[in-house]
Amino acid sequence: MSNTAIVYREVGEGRGFYLLLVLFGAVVAMGALAFFHLEHEGHHVTGMNNQIVWGLPHVFAIFLIVAASGALNVGSIGTVFRKPLYQPMGRLSALVAMALLLGWLVVLVLDLGHPDRLIVAMTHYNFKSIFAWNIILYNGFLALAGFYLWTMMDRQLKALYPYAGFAAFSWRLILTMGTGSIFGFLVVRQFYDSAIMAPLFIAMSFSFGLAVFILVLYAGFAWTRRPLGDVVLNRLRYLLAVFIGAALFLELMRHLANLYVTRRHGVEQFILSDGGIYTQLFWVGQVFLGALVPLSLIFCRRLVGNRLSLLVACVLVILGGFAQLYVILIGGQAYPLELFPGATVESTFFDGQISRYAPTVWEWMLGLGGVGISLLLVTVGVRVLRFLPVSLADEVLDSDDS
Amino acid sequence: MSDGLQQVPQRNQVDAYRRHFMAAVTGAATLATLAPGVILREASAATRPDVTARPPEQPATSVVRWGMLIDTARLGDGGAAMVAACRREHGWGHDPRASPEQQPQWVRTVRVTDKLTQHSFTLPVMCQHCEHPPCVDVCPTGASMKRADGIVQVNKHICIGCRYCMMACPYKARSFVHEPLTDQRPHSPRGMGTVESCNLCVHRIDTGRIPACAEAAPQAVIFGDLNDPDSRISQAVQALGGTQIRADLDLNTGVRYLNI
Amino acid sequence: MMLKLFNPPVSGGRLLAALLLAGLLAACDAAVPQPELGVARAKADQCVEPTGDMRRNHMQYLLTHRDETVIEGIRTTQHSLVECVNCHVAPVRADGSAVHYPDKDHFCASCHTYAGVKIDCFQCHADRPQVMDNPDYPHPLSANRYHQLASGGGTTVSLSDMLAVSGMGSGSTAGEVRP
Repeated sequence: MSNTAIVYREVGEGRGFYLLLVLFGAVVAMGALAFFHLEHEGHHVTGMNNQIVWGLPHVFAIFLIVAASGALNVGSIGTVFRKPLYQPMGRLSALVAMALLLGWLVVLVLDLGHPDRLIVAMTHYNFKSIFAWNIILYNGFLALAGFYLWTMMDRQLKALYPYAGFAAFSWRLILTMGTGSIFGFLVVRQFYDSAIMAPLFIAMSFSFGLAVFILVLYAGFAWTRRPLGDVVLNRLRYLLAVFIGAALFLELMRHLANLYVTRRHGVEQFILSDGGIYTQLFWVGQVFLGALVPLSLIFCRRLVGNRLSLLVACVLVILGGFAQLYVILIGGQAYPLELFPGATVESTFFDGQISRYAPTVWEWMLGLGGVGISLLLVTVGVRVLRFLPVSLADEVLDSDDS
Repeated sequence: MSDGLQQVPQRNQVDAYRRHFMAAVTGAATLATLAPGVILREASAATRPDVTARPPEQPATSVVRWGMLIDTARLGDGGAAMVAACRREHGWGHDPRASPEQQPQWVRTVRVTDKLTQHSFTLPVMCQHCEHPPCVDVCPTGASMKRADGIVQVNKHICIGCRYCMMACPYKARSFVHEPLTDQRPHSPRGMGTVESCNLCVHRIDTGRIPACAEAAPQAVIFGDLNDPDSRISQAVQALGGTQIRADLDLNTGVRYLNI
Repeated sequence: MMLKLFNPPVSGGRLLAALLLAGLLAACDAAVPQPELGVARAKADQCVEPTGDMRRNHMQYLLTHRDETVIEGIRTTQHSLVECVNCHVAPVRADGSAVHYPDKDHFCASCHTYAGVKIDCFQCHADRPQVMDNPDYPHPLSANRYHQLASGGGTTVSLSDMLAVSGMGSGSTAGEVRP
């Protein structure tokens, strides 16, 4: 047990900092360029069409918001579940969560047909729409995470810290349920229409958010030459394994349940075997690279304590997450709607056909621009305010051995 | 056949039965085919028009519920004339820069073939103007709305172009405008970044005319007030029924079909 | 070390400010564009509301009326955008070229480009009356009459004429007829 207080300090100036600014700034600039082009020309420059209405930008956006919700987890474990080991990372956790959320906001709003009507979206609410609820939930999450951060950084508000933490934790669970329900509430799409989408997205958020957080944490300490001990990394390592397992389990349940419904055999066969790119992304991207390989990297006996394997596992989880969201989002839309059950249909509007989608470079730029904004915000944040502890070495940590 | 004389009377009897059977079936089929026409003709002989113009300052009310009955057997072209009329009326279908998959289609003809029986028919599919529209439920701003008289439409002034309604519609009735437009029809504004769909030609209904598609196929389409028991359409659906597409979804559509 | 070339009568900063202010005043006075009223004036002396009222409030009339029309189905013509366009915009210029909102001589653009207020009405709405596909377009003035007026002949059109748009209802005048 350590009696040392945790000291937070801003990251120092250096060439690396400016290099990161330039790099992320360039990515953000490309996103802005893509947005202006889209705003001027219209969505015909994208691969999205009347069959696949949500495309790659939405894959990026949903990843960002799901990861944002999950990134706050580390702080929540420290605050709500009173684990002292996690508490020093709470500030960074909140920062990463808010940065990822702002990245989501930028990508989603700029992909709208009318981004200039954002104020309309903020003032006209249809409360039956889960989408409208999500707008409220996301903005509220930003405010709550900000307040939570404030209670962590301002001594005068320390008394409110547990309440802020609890509020942020509950809010983000509701938020992620809301994100999953965007799909789960779509009755007519056979790949969605399921209550399990909500808890599945919660499990995904734990997994993706922690993977992003570990990478940011590692980079933040390694590039500023601050000590990062094995105790905290190992704790996060096995926590990540639990979350990967949870997400995999819920995905398995979803497909098993779907396979029991005769009506859904078509869409399941499409995703699991006949779907070309979607099948490949599901098995190779999501299951193998996104879950099985990271689990083995984490648990392999020869790699115990190996930092590189943890980092590779995190990167793979993120890539697998993108694959999973691509399959959910695009694959779910590519499978045709059933106008007449038990009959084949054809029309000039591509009824009855598997819809094709190929993202254009503008969509890549827009999506990556959102990621760039998140990373830029984290970089600037740790430089200007005291988010990063000076040391997370084993000696200074209050390890709660249980 | 070298059967004896005994077989001949039996075969004659079978033939006689066959003749009677075929006559009966043909008669029933003729009746079934002609009956809708008879009812349509009788109904059209009624003096009451399908749509009465509303004074301009009067808002739409829920006293009326607009609906459409389409008899696919009497269409002849599967609805192609209806599609053409809709394109002319609203000016969609030739957006220059959109790819074919990005072209809006407010209504299209769909050819349906049953997997087992190979029985097939063609029907025009447009927004079904449900009583419980999923698109209205999911719209975050309320732009996707149901007017008091049952017409489901997009209020393009507050549509933010999120396309969630397009995900939710069971009939794929909604389209997104993918490019800047010019020289729109003044009575049918449509523009980049908003979602659009069949609006039952509200601008015509409010001024006492029937939708363009109904006008293009008068032999097969009845348009009118479903809430009025004496209207042509109410009498027709009462006598002949009317099938919803995806009736299992329980959306109570305003557009009904015969012979699908 | 600064090289003093001359002694200005006033300090440099104040001189610069004075020059800028003078320039600004001169520029402000120069060429405030008048809206393109020629097309409308040929049809009527007076708009549906008094000019001053229109200048200040036309956006409010449009914003209110659009909700009435779309959500409630009220199709009175006094504040209808379609009728504004019908009266204020000629579909083609004298040389036959089309007039559209991005052009400087479009009625709405003639003020809005100067005021720097971006409007998105014409992203969806037609920015000129449509005569191409439909020569019998229900404009209150028949083609002959319009041409007569444009060439200087004919009488001024009354407001009630303008409001009674054929095909838009029973022809009753909606709203107050103001002199």
